[in-house]
Amino acid sequence: MTVWKTAGLVAVLGAGLLGATGAGQEQAPRFTRQLMQETSLPAIDRGLRDQDPPRPARGRDDADRLRAQAGDAGLPYVRGSVIVKFKADATAAGITAATRQVAGDTVDRSGWANFDIVDIPDGADPEAAAAALGARPDVEYAQPRYRNYAMSKPNDPLYANQWNFPAIDMERAWDIQPGATSSIIVAVLDSGVAFHTGTFRYNSRFPFRMTPGGPIYPPLGIVDVPFAAAPELGASGSTRFVLPRDFIWDDNFPVDLDSHGTHVTGTVGQLTNNSQGGAGMAYNVRIMPVKIIQGTWDEIFSSPNEGTDDVVARGIRYAADNGAKVINLSIGRSAGGPAPVVTDAMRYAVGKGVFIAVASGNTRDSGNQPNRLAQAAPDIAGMVAVGAVGRTLDSAYYSTTGPFVELSAPGGDQRAGGTTAGILQQTLDLDLLETYEKPPSQYGPPRADSFAYYYFQGTSMATPHVSGFAALLMQQGVTSPAAIEAAMKQFATDKGAAGRDDLYGYGLINPRATLRGLGLAR
Amino acid sequence: MTQMTQMLRASVLAMAATMIWTMPATAQTRTSPRPAPSRSVEIGGYATVGHFTFAASDSFDAVLGAHTGTILGGGATVGLPWGGLFVDIGAWQYSDEGERVLRVDGVVIPLGIPVEVTVVPLEISAGWKFRLRRLPKLIPYAAGGYSSMGYKETSSFSATGEDVDERFGGYHLRGGAEFKLTRWLGVAGEVSWTTVPDALGEGGVSKTFNEDNLGGTSFRARITVGR
Repeated sequence: MTVWKTAGLVAVLGAGLLGATGAGQEQAPRFTRQLMQETSLPAIDRGLRDQDPPRPARGRDDADRLRAQAGDAGLPYVRGSVIVKFKADATAAGITAATRQVAGDTVDRSGWANFDIVDIPDGADPEAAAAALGARPDVEYAQPRYRNYAMSKPNDPLYANQWNFPAIDMERAWDIQPGATSSIIVAVLDSGVAFHTGTFRYNSRFPFRMTPGGPIYPPLGIVDVPFAAAPELGASGSTRFVLPRDFIWDDNFPVDLDSHGTHVTGTVGQLTNNSQGGAGMAYNVRIMPVKIIQGTWDEIFSSPNEGTDDVVARGIRYAADNGAKVINLSIGRSAGGPAPVVTDAMRYAVGKGVFIAVASGNTRDSGNQPNRLAQAAPDIAGMVAVGAVGRTLDSAYYSTTGPFVELSAPGGDQRAGGTTAGILQQTLDLDLLETYEKPPSQYGPPRADSFAYYYFQGTSMATPHVSGFAALLMQQGVTSPAAIEAAMKQFATDKGAAGRDDLYGYGLINPRATLRGLGLAR
Repeated sequence: MTQMTQMLRASVLAMAATMIWTMPATAQTRTSPRPAPSRSVEIGGYATVGHFTFAASDSFDAVLGAHTGTILGGGATVGLPWGGLFVDIGAWQYSDEGERVLRVDGVVIPLGIPVEVTVVPLEISAGWKFRLRRLPKLIPYAAGGYSSMGYKETSSFSATGEDVDERFGGYHLRGGAEFKLTRWLGVAGEVSWTTVPDALGEGGVSKTFNEDNLGGTSFRARITVGR
């Protein structure tokens, strides 16, 4: 992956803009990141950001902005390798023949994977190579390494209140099941979580543009980035966070350089009844931060991995193997083909008693392509694809529709209801984080130790409502993922056409009714 | 418990009233080889204890852990001056505690939320007492009539309108035999079948089981006072 990025960014240099600098950067020794110190200054809370100018919606386009310079914009997959799962009876000779068939020469097996990564030539078409491999009798499946993205669409941060919780009757639901307990672990597989206080040293080696033809942002060189645990999630080093894992940087510090994962985590389990900030669905659970997608800064700092399907699959398996009871996947991709490697991992996790909530996608107003990771939901009892509703409880304009949508939850609809119709949570202070959104003259290293409250919208924001809801049900004694899904559907408030429909699925989640269950006659 | 106490108190009062107001029949003042049919109004009372088996067995099992239970009650019987004809009004109570549940894919999952179910039927019956020439102390009887079934269901975390306190109409048939220990005191055993359709099944777990009948069968023992 690093090789690809290097090649891509060198293409910028080839355009004759900063060739000399770029060439020098490419000769620099490999550098990932280093934890410089475990402690840092206390987190900064900059409160409600309700006077900032509107922010453009973000999605995969943001990540593509960097890749535009590399000539790979729009490619839904990583070049140079494919994911292959050989059948159990595949022989070594057969595997060798398979790799040779696609001119590959390396088979790599990573941790928390039951599949292999087969290297193919950079110029080869990964989809064609995967198709060729998939046709072999000794291959169970093969697919390109499709990239996955955050599903949120952040917008103007104007704080009013968390309308989303009353909208699904959470106050009365919490009467019945007050926030679950620490016995429930919810794994948030995302861009990381602001869970750790410390300073990390990164190396920004390459120049880049944020927009085609736009100004060039220079490499920053070695930078020390301060991180802090989000005050509303829990203290750094506390038992609130369990077994963190970073599959983007290959270490145990899945800190958030993006804001998405921290916002999502807040909806799952922001500290509640502490006289600060807002609330979360299951505010007593423990959080397992698992980083499986990268943010823009991770790319600027040349993270060794990015959020491809294989990384997502490994993250799912890691969470399932390490005690998670619920997995939140507010990520996915609309481009590319199916994701058997992820589906396989999802089945594995559900088979281990893990409930999975996955975002349906944000493409309804731009082609309505489904989130490929969510499409397996109807076939997996214990995994739910989540659509979004706005403040009026109508389907949000962006919420992808289709036969795979199973439930709806508040995700916000700022087109219909304005800024405050988003989902409010504490996350990284975007003013101090996204310096690449400013002119190059103001561009500088990010800070990840400052926090504010932002309204985001997206099925990313809807999904953690379902994950938190699942945690509450587990605490209430409903331990089977399939039973959780069935109960959620049974008690969902029907919306749209009677019964299940492609817009809302089985309807809007109704935690209070579900947690209260059934009496004899009523 | 308050309801039960009130009901038992009413039963005792009914029996006491029976003892005070029962008038001896003229025909019974002399020995007769064959029990003579009553020619006057006879009032009696009874207390009953029994075992009720609800027809909605799956629903009761799911929420209460059992679909059978003990019933306690009492009532009054009025013998009419036309052969063995009598009318009866009685009430009993069943009460049990359980917990609310989820039923998904056929599996019942308890949620730990307490629920209390109380059933208080009022039964108005008409029937016939058979006089056996050779066993004058044994009085078989059969009756049938209208049941007004009070059903109360209360749960923790209920909001207004979410608990149930309603009364449903149905019918019952019962038969048994009374054995006179003395002129004024007897014991009886009976079997009763009650149907109360459309009382359940609109919601709750009974809807998922498609059970709508609040009736059932019961075996009851009585202590009777009066003639």
